[in-house]
Amino acid sequence: MSEPATSQRAHGGAGGFRASRAVMLFGGFLVLAVGCLAVAVRFGEQSISLTAALTEPTSTDAVIFWSLRLPRALLGAIVGAGLAASGATLQGLLRNPLADPFVLGVSGGAAMGATLALAVGLGTVGEVAPGLGGAMARLSAPALFSFLGAGAAILFVLSASRGSASRAPYAALLTGVVFNAFASAAITLVKTLSAPDRLGEILYWLAGALGYERGGTLALSALLQAGAIGVMWVLSARLNLLSLGDDDAASLGVPVAATRRWLLLAASASVAGAVALTGLIGFVGLIVPHLLRLAFGPDQRLLVPLSALGGAAFLVLSDLLARLAFPLFGAEPPVGVVTALLGGPLFLALLRRRVRLGTSH
Amino acid sequence: MNTTSTSRPRSGMSVLLATVLCLLAGTVSAAETSSLRTLGPPAPSKVRRVVTLAPSLSEMVLSLGAGSTLVGVSRFDEAKEVAKLPRVGGFTDPSVEAVIALKPDLLLVQPGPGNQRPVEKMAELGVPVLLLPLHSVADVLAAMRAVGKALGREKEAEAVVVGIEATRTRIREAAKKLPAPRVLFVYGFEPLVVAGPGSFADELLRDAGGINVAADASSAYPVYSVERVVRARATVVVDAADVDVGKDKLRALPGLSSARWVDLPSMSLLQPGPSLGRGLEELFRLLHPEGTGKAAP
Repeated sequence: MSEPATSQRAHGGAGGFRASRAVMLFGGFLVLAVGCLAVAVRFGEQSISLTAALTEPTSTDAVIFWSLRLPRALLGAIVGAGLAASGATLQGLLRNPLADPFVLGVSGGAAMGATLALAVGLGTVGEVAPGLGGAMARLSAPALFSFLGAGAAILFVLSASRGSASRAPYAALLTGVVFNAFASAAITLVKTLSAPDRLGEILYWLAGALGYERGGTLALSALLQAGAIGVMWVLSARLNLLSLGDDDAASLGVPVAATRRWLLLAASASVAGAVALTGLIGFVGLIVPHLLRLAFGPDQRLLVPLSALGGAAFLVLSDLLARLAFPLFGAEPPVGVVTALLGGPLFLALLRRRVRLGTSH
Repeated sequence: MNTTSTSRPRSGMSVLLATVLCLLAGTVSAAETSSLRTLGPPAPSKVRRVVTLAPSLSEMVLSLGAGSTLVGVSRFDEAKEVAKLPRVGGFTDPSVEAVIALKPDLLLVQPGPGNQRPVEKMAELGVPVLLLPLHSVADVLAAMRAVGKALGREKEAEAVVVGIEATRTRIREAAKKLPAPRVLFVYGFEPLVVAGPGSFADELLRDAGGINVAADASSAYPVYSVERVVRARATVVVDAADVDVGKDKLRALPGLSSARWVDLPSMSLLQPGPSLGRGLEELFRLLHPEGTGKAAP
């Protein structure tokens, strides 16, 4: 019953939400994401023969194709989808166009955790808790600690966003900003106290890079992201209504506080899961939703899934560029650097074009 | 709404913090006692293709006369014997793809949290890996023996180890008869990074009869306080820094301006590898310019 009102307000002539248009766009973006995946597994630092990779399972080509590139591209897709979908949701939820997945303090918490683990020189969870044994012991300690740190940040922000509903978005935003500032000071302290050889590892982690994960880890993180993105998508119509203001939304039957809490939780969980595996990859969650909002309007029902697919494509391509840069530098630049170098100018160019055309949305 | 229930997340938070602190407390010692380990399948008895991820490890292979087995090295390798070999990345960021494509039957790695995951991945994909921590002189000697064993060159490795140990004994004896200079071993000036306790440079300083003025530091490669340095009254400053940024400022400080500043004549003292013996001799000459004639062979 409330849908027409929102769509009218939300879309400002950018096409509106029609099932046929939505399906077409999803289809297009799905093809884009899969296409990027295909390109990313085809090319890389080594040139491989596709026929050898597909027909001779024991060849080096096959090992590189199946065991290195495919899992890494999948990780990029999973993480990119989570970051961009959370970005879209948070920008709507916090009513702040500058909100990105890291604004809630999740990055600060995660970075603090990983920095501590790296500064102390922990490799695996087995070194932390020798008694655990089994699969747990082989988990990467920086990953575990960053997840714990992100979890702590989420609890902080969620507790701050309770209380009076009208101030909740600002409380969450402010808590996140302050938490990040605090964490960055703590990280600087740890860095100052760390030996130079550890410092290099900390800096590299903070820059954000896609590494090589086991199949189980990939499956787990895919599940987490699918769940989180699912929640964000299911609640996206309600989030549209929240943009009318809390009172209006409440009078239309939206459980404002619960919606907000679920969305915060889903976005944070998605970011925490991403950060634990890849470090801090910025710009994906800020740029991709913005680009799509400029192109297709602010309807969250479209933005969340399109951002997920677009974010996946963007991060997979950025990582391919990072890998291709290896012969140039004798090292892979962290993918977070590539996303920023690519995303920044792309975004400014598009923004300028839109402003010139007189459509400020 | 819900203003009354704020206690729940807070208690969750404290539980989390407590867990983290407990985990951290139990670990420091565990992390320090890292030792030689292998990952992945066992290396073949006749190793033909070796990839190394650190210059010291390449030097070990070269010192055993097995340079022809090297097929890939890190981007930090500068030895002329490996100048033409493909580069496979750095210490924290090796390119797994580049290593796998070289089909090594042995990968030599200096382990660290930064390279744990890529190295594990390579082991998983069937590359035999030898993890060789290189913190102390004892670590270096153990690593030499392990590399020798893996390459079927135990005798050569033993010779290198015996050579280093003999040099240490000889220099220690020679140093006993000489006055002990107070030494500051500097890796960087801004910030001031020095050789602290637990570094192999600290051990070699003691062998050469020097007193490490930073022996009270908290770690092997600490950022050191400038005030402490001024108070320490070093008589010799060994400049092992890559860049000279901040050097003039430090050199102008009271106590440091009167010290004798010396440069390292070679890389031998910077790499925890087979050249440690040569590095020790160089250090001895730097510290005792007056008594070197008798000690050097």
